[in-house]
Amino acid sequence: MATTTATLTLSSADITGHSFNMTQSAILTKAASSTGLDEFTGITSRKYTAAQTDTVIVDKGDYVDTTVGHKVYIRNTNTGNSDYILVELEGTNIFLGRLYPGDWMFIPYAGTKNILVTTVALNVGIEYGVFSQSTVS
Amino acid sequence: MATTTATITLSSADITGDALNLTKSTILNKANTATGLDQFTGITTVVYAGAQTAKNIVDAGDYANTTTSHKVYIKNSSVGTSDFVTVEIGGDNIIMGQLYPGDWCFFPYEGTLDVDIDTSAVGMKVEYGVFSQSVAS
Repeated sequence: MATTTATLTLSSADITGHSFNMTQSAILTKAASSTGLDEFTGITSRKYTAAQTDTVIVDKGDYVDTTVGHKVYIRNTNTGNSDYILVELEGTNIFLGRLYPGDWMFIPYAGTKNILVTTVALNVGIEYGVFSQSTVS
Repeated sequence: MATTTATITLSSADITGDALNLTKSTILNKANTATGLDQFTGITTVVYAGAQTAKNIVDAGDYANTTTSHKVYIKNSSVGTSDFVTVEIGGDNIIMGQLYPGDWCFFPYEGTLDVDIDTSAVGMKVEYGVFSQSVAS
C-alpha cells in the first residue's frame, strides 16, 4: 500500500508574546488501520471564468463513507487579496469558511456530504484533490 | 500586525505512478487585506477522561463572522490506530470527517457555526487552536 505523508508547519514570530513554530506530520492511513490510503484523485487545477455558486468539487457518491480516513485538500490559487472561495458542506448554509488568495485547507472527509465552493469574482483559480480509501474499514 | 505562515507538504512516492511532492505556503491575512490575522488562542491540549459527544471546541460566539479569514487547527494526538476524533460543524453536528491518531486538519472558519468534536474512546488527547481576526473586514 501507498505511503502518503501530510506535514503542517505553522510559524509566527509575533502572533503571541513568544515565537510560535509548530510542525505536525501524519501518514495518511485507512480508518482504524496502519494501512495507507490507496486512492488519489490527483490535484485538479481549474480556472473558473465565471463566478460559481455551490459548485460541487467533491461528490460523496464517489467515495465509501462513514468509517473512513479520506482527506481533502483545497487551495485558492489566485493572487491579490480579495477573490475568495467560500467552502461549504452540502446542506443549508453549512459554511466552513473562506479561502483567500493563496490560502489552502486540509480536512478529513467522511464521504457523507458533498463539498461545494462558491466564488464571487471572475477567473478564480482553484486546485483540489482527495486522498481516499477504496473500501470502508 | 502579526505575520503567521501556514505551510502544507503532501508527499508520496507511490500513491500514483508519479511521485507526489506538493508544498504550499500562505500568510494568514484578514479577509480582503494584506494585514495579518491578529488573534490566536494558542494551542490547547486536552486529554478527555471520557468519550466526548458534540464537545464544543470552537464557539462561533467568540468570533467576528461572515467576512473573515479565521483558521482552525485540530489534531488527534492519541496513539495507536483506532481512536478517532469526529469533526462536526454547526448545531446539527454535520460531520466533516474523522481524524485518526496523528491526523491533523487545518481549515478556514467563517465564524458562523460552532465546531464540535466526538471522541471514540476514553483517554483521548486532542490539540486545537484558532487563528482569527479581531473584527470582520
